[in-house]
Amino acid sequence: MTEPAAHPTLPQATVVPKKHRRISVVWIIPILAAVVAIGIAVQRILSEGPAITIVFKAAQGIEAGKTFIKYKDVNIGTVTAVQLTEDYSKVTVTAKITKSAAGLMVDDAQFWVVEPRITLSGVSGLGTLLSGNYIGFAAGKSGKTQRDYTGLDVPPSLTGQPGRKFTLKAARLGSLGIGAPVYYHSLEAGQVIAYQLAPDGKAVDVDIFVNAPYDKYVNSETRFWNASGVDVTLGASGVQVRTESLVALVAGGLAFDAPPFATVAQPATAKTVFTLFADQPSALKQPDAVAQHYVLYFNESLRGLSVGAPVTLLGLPGGEVTEVGLDLDAATQKLRGRVEIVSYPERLVGRLTGQQLVTAEAIAHSIQQRRAFFQRLVEQKGMRAQLQSGNLLTGQLYVAFDFFPDAKPARIDWKQDKPVLPVALSTLPNLEAKVGSILTKLDKLQYAEIGADLRKALASFDKTMQETNTMLAHIDTDVTPELKSAIAEFRRATASADKAIKHTDATLLGPDAPGQQELRDAMQEFTRAARSLRILTDYLERHPEALIRGKAEEENP
Amino acid sequence: MSAGDLSAAAAGLVSCETCSLLTQPVHPNHPGHCPRCGAELESRRPRSIQTTWALVIAAAICYIPANLLPVMNTTTLGSTEPDTIIGGVVFLYTSGSWPLALIVLIASVMVPIGKLIALAYLLVTVQRGVKGGERERTRLYRMVEIIGRWSMLDVFVDTFTVALVQLSPLMSVEPGMGVLFFAAVVVLTMIAVETFDPRLIWDAAARQQDPRQETKP
Repeated sequence: MTEPAAHPTLPQATVVPKKHRRISVVWIIPILAAVVAIGIAVQRILSEGPAITIVFKAAQGIEAGKTFIKYKDVNIGTVTAVQLTEDYSKVTVTAKITKSAAGLMVDDAQFWVVEPRITLSGVSGLGTLLSGNYIGFAAGKSGKTQRDYTGLDVPPSLTGQPGRKFTLKAARLGSLGIGAPVYYHSLEAGQVIAYQLAPDGKAVDVDIFVNAPYDKYVNSETRFWNASGVDVTLGASGVQVRTESLVALVAGGLAFDAPPFATVAQPATAKTVFTLFADQPSALKQPDAVAQHYVLYFNESLRGLSVGAPVTLLGLPGGEVTEVGLDLDAATQKLRGRVEIVSYPERLVGRLTGQQLVTAEAIAHSIQQRRAFFQRLVEQKGMRAQLQSGNLLTGQLYVAFDFFPDAKPARIDWKQDKPVLPVALSTLPNLEAKVGSILTKLDKLQYAEIGADLRKALASFDKTMQETNTMLAHIDTDVTPELKSAIAEFRRATASADKAIKHTDATLLGPDAPGQQELRDAMQEFTRAARSLRILTDYLERHPEALIRGKAEEENP
Repeated sequence: MSAGDLSAAAAGLVSCETCSLLTQPVHPNHPGHCPRCGAELESRRPRSIQTTWALVIAAAICYIPANLLPVMNTTTLGSTEPDTIIGGVVFLYTSGSWPLALIVLIASVMVPIGKLIALAYLLVTVQRGVKGGERERTRLYRMVEIIGRWSMLDVFVDTFTVALVQLSPLMSVEPGMGVLFFAAVVVLTMIAVETFDPRLIWDAAARQQDPRQETKP
């Protein structure tokens, strides 16, 4: 490198201090933070829906910040404040409605408090298990915006959803509540929307809403029944447990279906009134158009026979017990059991097939023919009613009709409103009856006589003892001397035997006696035999299979 | 001028921030590199006050949503409840555990705001050239520096809770927007503490000693 030549003519470069930008880039950070924060705030403000107030009679479980307003199960708002009105008579609930639902807040929108209920619909819904009260909402049709509402006391019917509303007449409400599901083939098809006491006060009117498309399966022949909880029936037919679903088990529910005998009918119109049956079997039972009542008189215990117990013919159910009572014969002052039964011939007729069915149906539907047929059964074939034990454990009884060709002849008086049918004494008496009869027999025993007999026996025994005594005395005098001489002779005999044995000892057991030698050999032989036997058993213990397969070849080590 | 008050800058020297070697700068404005460790030499951290201000303001802005927005959304049996920091403090206090409430209040509310106020105070005093109390202010700076990392504890707790409490459908915890802002406050103040040059505190004292700088407009 050459030295830089000095050029005095050239101007000297100057050092200009680097100018600092006055605003540092770092200010982007606070600006960014401000923009984000303001953005969020603006978004919050913009998404803020209107605040509305709803006046309720009471704030049942409504809590500020925790209670939601739900429309079609979607949260559309949250309660922000719960206050008493100025005159302290009602409650004003202030709620923030989400922006998206602001358009729903119109003049004729409706609000009501939905009571807590347990909804277990599916595993994903477990979260709402204890969701508490919420405010229900029904959209209005008006276009006028409204911000102040008065809440409804009872929920309005579901008007927005496709489906139909029906009314069920129930004897008891059971565990049904508003929102309780209505099932069709175990599918949730609707819900209970309201219930109230019927105007006559004798039943409960349950309003249900069946969603489309299930509503088209509700026709005039549809049966509704209560599917609440577990239905445990303990009858003559044993224990039956039945439940529609877990939800119904907890929250109660209804179910409907068409009975198997139903003919296809037109879907029922909305607001049709149906009867709510207590359970599925009674709901789906064939309507018994033909019902004949009979009376049976039993001269035996009716314990275990309850109303509703089946009446069977050859074991097939064909009716039921309608009343269990007592009858007093005025003439003989005799009490006996009176059992009223109802028979549904159609149920038995339904078991027939083909041409028989047609014939039997004709018989069942004509009173004259039916009576004639029945009379023939009773008077010629010996059909008799009999109490039978349905369940040995519970002692439930039922009435069984069977044929007893040897039965005493009987007649049926058709003139009576409820004709009396002849009965046969039960052939299978229940345990209780048996025990009872044993007890009766015991009771009948004549204890006094037994006592006298016993005393007599004791007296004779005494006599016998005395006789024995005299006999013993006789023995003492007559027999003893002879016995003495006999003993002396016996002693002599044993002494000679002793001698003989000693002699034998010398020959047999002497140290050089041949018998001794042989015996020793025999003993040794025996010991050897015993040892080999032990070896054999040892071997068998270790190789039991040797019994079958023989001894295995010893392997040479 | 006593030896104790003499600053390197006043003597026209630069101390390396990495290895503390006292060097003669190449040029007052461009001190060059440390001959021993090679770190870039700076008499004072560049634009320290401006940068620190920017970060402090950013942290202050973030502090507002950090406290207003929920840090956690707890879903218990179907009902979701947003929890803010202050809400947590109030909950702890009302449920009887006031010592815990106090800890959360101090660690999560007072410490961040205290840091912001402390930094702002240091900046203002440095800008104004306030004399006196340099030792105390330096101690304050050190405290802010040490305490800073502990505020992150909240964010860790939040993160762990969110990760662990996922017992859906019984209970689940989702993070809220607030925790992001809270973390931003903590991180920004920590950086602000780093950008602030504590030597500036002593420059005012040095100016007081140096009549040349005193007379400077």
